Amino acid sequence: MRQDLSSITSPDAPEEERNWWVHAILGLASAIASLPVIWIVLTAFMSRETAQSMPPQWIFQPTLDAFRELIIERDMLYFMMNSAIVAVASTILSVTLGMFCAYALARFDFVGKDDVAFWILTNRMMPAVAIVLPMFLIFQTVNLLDTRIGLIILYTAMQLPFVVWMLKGYFEEVPRQLEEIALVDGDTWLGAFRRVVLPMMTPAITATAIFVLILSWNEYAFAFFLTGSEAKTLPPAVVTFAVNAEVSWDVLGAACLIITAPIMIFVIAVQRQFISGLSMGLVR
Amino acid sequence: MTDTSLDGRSNTSPPRDAATPPAPKVSIQNRAYFPWLLMAPTLIILLVVGIFPFGYSIYLASTNIILSRPQLDTFFLGLEQYQDLMQDPQFFNALRITFIYTITAVFIEFWAGLGLALLFKRNIRGKAVYRLLLLLPMVIPPLVVGLIWRYMLFPNSGLISFYSNEIATFLNIAPPTFLSAPGSALRTLIFIDVWQWTAFMFLILSAGLAAIPPEPYEAAEIDGASSWRVFWTITLPMLRPAILIAVVIRTMDAFRTYDQIAVLTAGGPGNSTETLNIWLTNLGFRFFNVSKAAALSLVIFVIIVVLSFVFVKVLSRTSIEERE
Repeated sequence: MRQDLSSITSPDAPEEERNWWVHAILGLASAIASLPVIWIVLTAFMSRETAQSMPPQWIFQPTLDAFRELIIERDMLYFMMNSAIVAVASTILSVTLGMFCAYALARFDFVGKDDVAFWILTNRMMPAVAIVLPMFLIFQTVNLLDTRIGLIILYTAMQLPFVVWMLKGYFEEVPRQLEEIALVDGDTWLGAFRRVVLPMMTPAITATAIFVLILSWNEYAFAFFLTGSEAKTLPPAVVTFAVNAEVSWDVLGAACLIITAPIMIFVIAVQRQFISGLSMGLVR
Repeated sequence: MTDTSLDGRSNTSPPRDAATPPAPKVSIQNRAYFPWLLMAPTLIILLVVGIFPFGYSIYLASTNIILSRPQLDTFFLGLEQYQDLMQDPQFFNALRITFIYTITAVFIEFWAGLGLALLFKRNIRGKAVYRLLLLLPMVIPPLVVGLIWRYMLFPNSGLISFYSNEIATFLNIAPPTFLSAPGSALRTLIFIDVWQWTAFMFLILSAGLAAIPPEPYEAAEIDGASSWRVFWTITLPMLRPAILIAVVIRTMDAFRTYDQIAVLTAGGPGNSTETLNIWLTNLGFRFFNVSKAAALSLVIFVIIVVLSFVFVKVLSRTSIEERE
């Protein structure tokens, strides 16, 4: 049932492809996909003069000036800390709470079950910007504007439907007899859940949690409209000075790298669990 | 044993052993409220953060509040905001742009992703490297995608603007515009969406292709069917579930796109890239017309619920067909 990425994309083919046009197409597509990314990474290590020079310079002496400016003059570490706190807290909350909800939907039959499930899903379908305005006015009255708590609550709610729907499918795959055996053996429900169901669900839960973490870390619209200086996370922080005329490309490149790198490193570190968890759901 | 389940009704019907009554510790699951207890935290949070703003939006949409003009008396307008919206050409403009953006982007992503997935079925040297490069755009935050392209398309000094100007001068034609002209701005935004999300289609369709059993292909080979015919009669139909999932997810997300557009054009030039989402934030946070914005957000919500209801129906129907 588990499949890793290489077996998804490469079923055994007999002999090696020699058609040049296959390589031409893939080469062109790869270049279009990767060049902008490579360029922004290069820019992050350019000096201000190099970044602004015409024609663009592909070969240059790398420097860390842009990162120094971001961290010392623009407080990037503070925004990064905000991002980390909000993303981790909302991930833990939404995965823990959503897991129980998904379990209930997968295991029990009760009146209105499908309606509850669909209603939960509709919450995810609302575009963020459609609730950002009432959220702004509500946060203003209950003093949650520009607080990390406010963002954590909001992100938790935003991710819950996704968590519930992801995990519901996986829970349905776990045979229920397993829990019943544990229950008959005198275990409590929670004990059976923890000792029997959870271990089987670990890859799925990990994959879901990684997804949620990435989405929360990257979230921009809510953070932009609902935070000021105190709880501002990385994405709105970067935008505030990226659209600013005095900011130069080297700083923009470094800022893009600072947002993207932690998640990239994290995803590379856990990619095996991520892909096995994902494909467990995809290729059922 | 197969119909034994944790819920009350079926648990009581097949007694495991006539002599031993059900273990008392199992009893909590037999209560009808137990699933609701498990769902309670989720439902409460969604009610507070989902329904509450929803109700507040309904209230706002029935009034005439414009935050920049607090001296205005608040009137109860009933459904007038919605009527105004339906008569506003800007609403239909935003609706049209949202649909053009969504449909064009998803259409191109689907065929490009499918093409790449089919190419990857071949045995190619350096596959891992190609795949890594192709997947790069997908793992970058949408906001950063916006910033990267803003930077590369910056008039004259951006990487792409610079080289395209050079080429245009060399060919003696007018330099292309990207984000600065009404016609090309929407095309550029669609291209950027395609740039970022084709890999997503590629991944899901690759997984779908891998799940197709080899037998039909072997049969087709014996019949001597052309590869074109094999594609239309075997690959596409057998890929249907994967196609549906990929297209549905991508359609919903493209419909919602906000970050890139906000950073790249904010709806301009003019209102040539003003999708529903962008118009909504402009109404609420630039013109402070919160009542009209609230009415618009409810209209968007209705559109999305109708769309997703159709999608969920279609999806569940195919998953049933799959099982049979």
